[in-house]
Amino acid sequence: MDQGRRRSWEWVVERLIKAAGVFAIVFVVLIFAFLLWDALPIFRERPLRELLAGGRWSPTAEPPQFGMLPLLLGSLYVTAGALLLAVPLGLATAVFIADVAPPRLQEVLKPTVDLLAAIPSVVFGFLGLLLVGPWLARWLNLPVAQFAALGSLMLALMAIPTIVSVSEDAIRAVPRSLRDNSLALGATHWQTISRVVVPAARSGIVAAVLLGLGRAIGETMTVLMVTGNAAVIPRGLQGFLRPVETMTATIAAEMGETAYRTSHYHALFAIGLILFVVTFLTNTLADLALGRAGRAAR
Amino acid sequence: MTRMGRSTLAGILALAVAAAAGCSRTGGTGGQAGPGAGAGSIRQIGSTTMLALAEKWRGGFNASHPDVSIAVSGGGSGTGIKALISGTAEIADSSRDVKAEEMKQAEAAGMKLVSHLVARDGMAVIVNPANPLREIPLAVLSDVYVGKTRDWGQAGAPGLGAIQIASRDSASGTYEMFRETVVTLGGRDKSRDYAPEALKQTSNEAVLALVGQTKNAIGYVGLGYVNDTVKVVAIIPERGGAAVAPSAETVSSGGYPLARSLYCVTNGEPTGAVKTYLDWIKGAEGQAIVRELGFVPVGAP
Repeated sequence: MDQGRRRSWEWVVERLIKAAGVFAIVFVVLIFAFLLWDALPIFRERPLRELLAGGRWSPTAEPPQFGMLPLLLGSLYVTAGALLLAVPLGLATAVFIADVAPPRLQEVLKPTVDLLAAIPSVVFGFLGLLLVGPWLARWLNLPVAQFAALGSLMLALMAIPTIVSVSEDAIRAVPRSLRDNSLALGATHWQTISRVVVPAARSGIVAAVLLGLGRAIGETMTVLMVTGNAAVIPRGLQGFLRPVETMTATIAAEMGETAYRTSHYHALFAIGLILFVVTFLTNTLADLALGRAGRAAR
Repeated sequence: MTRMGRSTLAGILALAVAAAAGCSRTGGTGGQAGPGAGAGSIRQIGSTTMLALAEKWRGGFNASHPDVSIAVSGGGSGTGIKALISGTAEIADSSRDVKAEEMKQAEAAGMKLVSHLVARDGMAVIVNPANPLREIPLAVLSDVYVGKTRDWGQAGAPGLGAIQIASRDSASGTYEMFRETVVTLGGRDKSRDYAPEALKQTSNEAVLALVGQTKNAIGYVGLGYVNDTVKVVAIIPERGGAAVAPSAETVSSGGYPLARSLYCVTNGEPTGAVKTYLDWIKGAEGQAIVRELGFVPVGAP
């Protein structure tokens, strides 16, 4: 190929790649606009307080009730529970893989943890519904085998690979010199890990937790199958052991039946909008944290 | 990048653009059914209650009409009707009547929805086998489902504690029909609705599993789904009298209060392959399958 042809070809390819990148941004903006457009009517129809703090979600009743509080709290309980389980486990696993395990064990552990991420969410739902749920309900003597903590448990299994992966990268990125200096000063291996390495990797670990949070809050299929889908306001710690309904499950369960452009339809879009905003914020914060981690390493 | 690599990249990009262009929706909005109907291709979407039925109908029909390709899927009665209106299905399976709003939406899209009665079904009320309950008045059942009656002691099974309600989710025709006949007391009190504590399950099988596992649970499933992991409860009709247990006879005769009709809905009167298929379903072979699966045949068996 002569020089002229090569240059114009490069020009075409560069433009195409740039278009692809721009397209991704446009796509996200369009999704947001689409959600906003179809959610606005319900915000105009009902006062914000009734929507966000109302305690009864009965869209098929007459008159319909669109109180989202049970759903917001349902998602909160399930996600918080999932992080409570996933963060300590994930962080510990990441530390083990990055700093403690012998190289051969590392080579086995990393792909195994990644395998957890490859399992489809419906499989987790299935396992939770038919195996883990009934077993836990028997053990803890619960009235019904579908409850918030079961959702938390299955979600934790899904969030752990994300947390492990990102945390492990952050821990590995801590300069060797920091570790060596600590050991040289007489600190034990564990003291080095807990007081030097992990604090140094803190931005990356925060990012890992936020990404795990984003994964957990957006999960639909699993929570639809195992949390019971009862739109009641969970109370106290007992609330973890009782059925709840998450925002994602509500949309999944009800969108199929809702007539186009009715109040119910708009209310479901409002839930979708809230989910989008929360996920967007957590991902942006995670990006900022990763940015800081990158700068800290340099 | 090498010369070979650049051509590969170009090829992939070209393919991607072509694929994106080719993915335009072929089903039209409004007007007649999708391009497949006459040519021997039918998309049948909707009620999960009717899903097993639809699968067997397809199998039976294809045995004698192998040139018609039928794609069956679930998603709920509402999903099916929506698909029909938007042109992505030729037949909507529905375990409830078409709603007034859906008729309006169809008209707006230039369609007229026609419901074909293809089977009758009973909604069986089920409890855990450990529950001594044998019969329940319709009004008490309704109070249980709206959350007014919360303890088994008030519902006829003292000692079992709090009642755990199992229901379907709102995409389900079964949910709608149960709401219509039981929750709102036959549509008379529309302000009544399911209690928020009702555990919404995604399918008949899920309701069965839940009730079978949970001692104090009560639920409802299509008659054809009942098995020996659960116990069926007879219903005392509102007008009083003896309790009626669900069966093919009591559903046909009208004696069982929680009976409902199952429909295949089409856009306008069916033609071509869709007509042949529907006639087959309403004929002897289709209705034999209805009976085989535990539903109730319509017309001459």
